[in-house]
Amino acid sequence: MIINAEPSRRAWWLLAPAGLIYSAAFLMPLALVVIYSFARFKGGVTEFGFFLDNYRSAISDGFVLPVLWQTMRLALFVTLACLVLGIPIAVQLRRCRPRARLLLMFLIVSPILTSVIVRNVSFLLILGKFGLINQALQWLGIVSAPVQLLYNRFAVIVGVVHVYLPFMALPAYASMSAIDPRMEESAANLGASRLRVFLSVTLPLSLPGIIAGATIVFILAMGIYVTPVIMGGGFVVTTPMIISDLVRNQYNWAQGAAISVLLLAVIGVLMAGLSRIRLRHAR
Amino acid sequence: MQDDYLVARNPLLLAATCAIGFFLSAPLLILVIESFTAENHLGFPPAAFGLRWYRHIIQPGSWLETAGRSVLVAAIVAPLAVATGTMAALAIERGPARWRSTLYTLLISPMILPHVVLALGFFRLVLMLNADDSYAAICVAHLIISVPYIVITVSASLQSLDRSLEEAALNLGASEWRAFLHVILPALIPGLVAGAVFAFIESFDEFIITFFITTFRLTLPIQIFNSLAYQLDPSVAAVSSAALAMTMLLTVCLLLRGQLVAAGRIVR
Repeated sequence: MIINAEPSRRAWWLLAPAGLIYSAAFLMPLALVVIYSFARFKGGVTEFGFFLDNYRSAISDGFVLPVLWQTMRLALFVTLACLVLGIPIAVQLRRCRPRARLLLMFLIVSPILTSVIVRNVSFLLILGKFGLINQALQWLGIVSAPVQLLYNRFAVIVGVVHVYLPFMALPAYASMSAIDPRMEESAANLGASRLRVFLSVTLPLSLPGIIAGATIVFILAMGIYVTPVIMGGGFVVTTPMIISDLVRNQYNWAQGAAISVLLLAVIGVLMAGLSRIRLRHAR
Repeated sequence: MQDDYLVARNPLLLAATCAIGFFLSAPLLILVIESFTAENHLGFPPAAFGLRWYRHIIQPGSWLETAGRSVLVAAIVAPLAVATGTMAALAIERGPARWRSTLYTLLISPMILPHVVLALGFFRLVLMLNADDSYAAICVAHLIISVPYIVITVSASLQSLDRSLEEAALNLGASEWRAFLHVILPALIPGLVAGAVFAFIESFDEFIITFFITTFRLTLPIQIFNSLAYQLDPSVAAVSSAALAMTMLLTVCLLLRGQLVAAGRIVR
């Protein structure tokens, strides 16, 4: 009763440690990004103020916007691949027996718990010039010389999908497991084929989870840095790579900050749009 | 009580799941197999097996220092993250409903935000404080990455906790602190253990912010990343496998304790 009543003062001091950490490592850094994005970088010196130079050059230099567009396309491909691979997993998770479900769950959750770098290294061993796939192809006599599988967009997509698949499969499973199986059963009893039941009962009812998963995957994929660097070998450039290069190699914080703000803006717009779609479906 | 419709076999679906499961697990299995090569190069299958490269990586001055640092940082970060995240989750779950969803969104947003943007801002702040390359900066950076996971798991457990137990304790004269210690905390423990494991692994694997703020005091993921710029020699496979073994061991512990579901909840 005591807790239920007034918002007790206790509740607020419990937020103190989190408040400290979030201001130091989240709110202040974000504020600095915004401040720097309006600064001006000239001759190695950063001049503060309200300048739009960085935004202007980001939009007009013919490099930043195409890369942002490329990053969005990459994220879109990753999301589509996650949809194609994640939905069957979700369906199967719902159907399996508890023991098998645990094993499958382990397979799906383990990518979140393994380092992205470790997983990229493992893909270098598979897709590389002397990697498993090339050796198998040569051994089978399908190709005579190693095929270039690494250091292109395909490799990056494979690597990123491996990392983000759980973020698609688990929300999809969550909303699928909430569906009453009797709905599907009655559709089947009324003569619908399995595919028809899936397409017109299961899929629409699990759409909220699928949209949530797709949103998260898309947003996370917009921020990828490690995988394109390791598996793209310089042939795939993403917006986070430009930001990192500007700051770490050119010391042009202002320009990097402005591109960061643009990236955040794109993500914000996408999130707002997708959550509106989700709300419409929830109704 | 599962019905026939859901249980009926579907070979196509089963085959698809197996293929996807293979896609998820095969690369890591191959990494581990290749790490036991006794040759000078990586190649599958290795012509000879041995512990040669594992002996190589435990020599002083190669990988031990960074690996030790990564474990140390993760061991500092995990309990701090659990404490911070649990307190925050209690505050938002037991606080006024008006602020609940705003605070919750704010607390979990570091998960979704591109980490490169956070890294840029945090690096700037750390440079201003002359704290780059310091343990404090690394730990704070890792905390901001791992606290959201704890907030999610703990709020979920708090929501499923029967509120009347807590109220009963308070009505019977227990102080708020005592009610927390004897009623809420025991119910939260499984979730906290899972959260601590998650926080440890998140910190152990964190890359981009640490990459920005360190130059000499590297952590393991960064040393692996840097070594990839030269050539992929078997010691990288051995180090990666060792790191993988550690995180997998922790994951299996979660699995055996039946808490993987709690971990799965994180991405919902």
